[in-house]
Amino acid sequence: STTTLTTPQNEVESLMHEMADESGLDLNMELPQGQTGSVGTSVASAEQDELSQRLAKLRDQV
Amino acid sequence: MAARAKRPEDVGSKEYDDSGELIRSHHKQAFEYISVALRIDEDDKAHKEQAVQWYKKGISELEKGIAIEIMGQGEKCERAKRLQAKMTTNLIMAKDRLELLAKVPSAS
Repeated sequence: STTTLTTPQNEVESLMHEMADESGLDLNMELPQGQTGSVGTSVASAEQDELSQRLAKLRDQV
Repeated sequence: MAARAKRPEDVGSKEYDDSGELIRSHHKQAFEYISVALRIDEDDKAHKEQAVQWYKKGISELEKGIAIEIMGQGEKCERAKRLQAKMTTNLIMAKDRLELLAKVPSAS
């Protein structure tokens, strides 16, 4: 049957997240290599933002 | 004949795969160093000159991360470029801070 092949990916994903939420699972922990890379970069960006904020606060202090 | 250096196309595709990861590893190191520097710097009672060394280490990691060339296109590359842009901002800010700390006679 072709039904499984034509199921939109976003539907599958939202269903997976729904199931994960219900069971309290963290989907990110199970992401394949390619995905962890982009998650890692997002985390890294957030960490850089944190540094910017802290550096900005210090800017005019001695 | 001895094995020759990798042909450019091999190296190119390898760099394409790894540049994001490499940038992240420099980011991580820089983040740790600058976090230490900030913890010292944010404490009014601390000796600020102790922060200087950590800022310098962090700055050198940021520079290494920013120097990595990102090849190719796509979402992955865009993310890596955005990360580099943020690292550049922090590089400038950390250098400014370092300059300021260097001018201040160490108040103890």
